[in-house]
Amino acid sequence: MEVPDDAPPPGWIVKGVTTYIYRDFIRWIRYRVGVVSTLVLPAAWLLFVGLALPVKFTGNYLDFITPGILVMTILTAGISSGSLLMFDKILGFLNKFLAMPVPRESILVSKILFISVRGLIQATIILILAVLIGATIMNPLQYGLTYLILFLFGVFISAFSTTVALYLDDHDSFAAFTAMVTMPLFFASSALMPYDVMPGWLSAIAHVNPLSFAIDAIRDVGAGSIPVIPIVLLLVFTAVVVVLSGYVFRKVTV
Amino acid sequence: MTTIQTENLTKNFGDLCAVDNLCLTVDKEIFGLLGPNGSGKTTTVLMLTTLLSQTKGNASICGHDTRREPEKVRDCISYVPQDMAVDTTLTGRENVLIFARLYGVKNPKDRVDELLAVMELTDRADDLAKTYSGGMRRRLELAEALVHEPEVIFLDEPTLGLDVGARKNIWNHIHALNKKGMTIFMTTHYMDEADQYCDRVGIINHGKIAALGNPSELKAHLMKDVITVTIDGEYAPTQLDGTLFVGQLGDTISFTAENGREALPLLVDALNHAGNRVKAMSLREPSLDDVFLQSVGKQEEPKGFEEWKFRMMLHHRGGS
Repeated sequence: MEVPDDAPPPGWIVKGVTTYIYRDFIRWIRYRVGVVSTLVLPAAWLLFVGLALPVKFTGNYLDFITPGILVMTILTAGISSGSLLMFDKILGFLNKFLAMPVPRESILVSKILFISVRGLIQATIILILAVLIGATIMNPLQYGLTYLILFLFGVFISAFSTTVALYLDDHDSFAAFTAMVTMPLFFASSALMPYDVMPGWLSAIAHVNPLSFAIDAIRDVGAGSIPVIPIVLLLVFTAVVVVLSGYVFRKVTV
Repeated sequence: MTTIQTENLTKNFGDLCAVDNLCLTVDKEIFGLLGPNGSGKTTTVLMLTTLLSQTKGNASICGHDTRREPEKVRDCISYVPQDMAVDTTLTGRENVLIFARLYGVKNPKDRVDELLAVMELTDRADDLAKTYSGGMRRRLELAEALVHEPEVIFLDEPTLGLDVGARKNIWNHIHALNKKGMTIFMTTHYMDEADQYCDRVGIINHGKIAALGNPSELKAHLMKDVITVTIDGEYAPTQLDGTLFVGQLGDTISFTAENGREALPLLVDALNHAGNRVKAMSLREPSLDDVFLQSVGKQEEPKGFEEWKFRMMLHHRGGS
């Protein structure tokens, strides 16, 4: 496999990735209900949780809750990456694609990128809406860092969910897995309340929850600091999961 | 150079030997791999298309080893699985265009137009594939498979779930591709189709080739005539010189005979003598079904029924 003259021409992986993304993108926008749902859901969360809950932990609860809603949105978006791959697998598309000379890894990379970028589109809607209903406007650097953290977290989650999807055999198991993971992860994080108002046991869990990790980093950005260590750590975790995902992908598909 | 060549190709799944020392040569022909469910057909195709690695042995496609040069193998093949995997929310043209881009063909748009015309889909090219019938979806898949002008096409049950007209149409296309020098390697359950359209068939059972050759040769090999007998109750084994027991399928017993017309009355006596109650008899030329039955014998369903595949199939047919 590592014979040099057998290597695919450079740029082919890019072509593969862009074509697969094009396919997933068209399929997404043609399901109008799917588009509306991905856009309305985060807005609904922000409005109901940010405005309706009578909580007074902090000065501006909207500023506090927005990072939580952003990361939760990326979480649910990222988990669906595995779902995309699962459907390709059970409907026979994956076998067709794997029998093609285009580098196989481009399938994996395309799913992760498409889902992460789609998550960022949702994040943009939340950020705009948050400002409209009273959140503090940040400076461009802060927005840039927020997007960077969300992107890294998106890649982390979607690489993780595609890896799980590669191991599971049917969509029902995968749906059960996502339900089991998403809700507890969200409620046992720092998304809804600061650590000091949590019960001790919850605070302990929330501190090691990867979700809190991303949420706290975005809150640090909002507070005006640059969370270098959390971003570097997130980068490392993401790299590890992506490499692991690539390894599993090669192992499962050979 | 032989297009497809395997040497002692073997695949074990744990204790189960799915493909057992398969040695096969296929070249510029329409080759049909036949066999009961679980006989190793799909496993063989998956190994030849680089989707599954063998336990031992070798396979080469167009001179490239499937293990050592998988990219080169994938460059000269196309694989159409039986699932009818067509993106239904994309138009026919978009479906094929995606494959043209993935294969990196030059002028993808022109190539797509050309193939849609070959597969008689030009009129409907810009309609969503969900409005296509089963036969059209299959033709769309063939168009996708042809974008890079492969030397070999692997077709898994290409006519499954299609009506008679659509099946004939697909076969005409397959035939035309073969005329242009393409090697077609297919699996099927339809004996009549294999008989009619395949240059050679291989009947595989328990991972081994049980019969291999031209359909008419195989039929000729089974002596001249086939006598089928429908009986009431259990079959009591019956011997008669000049006839040969082939197999049993439900309450129907098959025999072959050197001279069917003369054997017929003698066989009735012999059957009655052995204690069978004969309900009906018929005499005919052998078909590939008889070859199959003789090679494979009585079959049990070896693996669990895959309900989702069945549902998918119903779904596709319902949508057509």
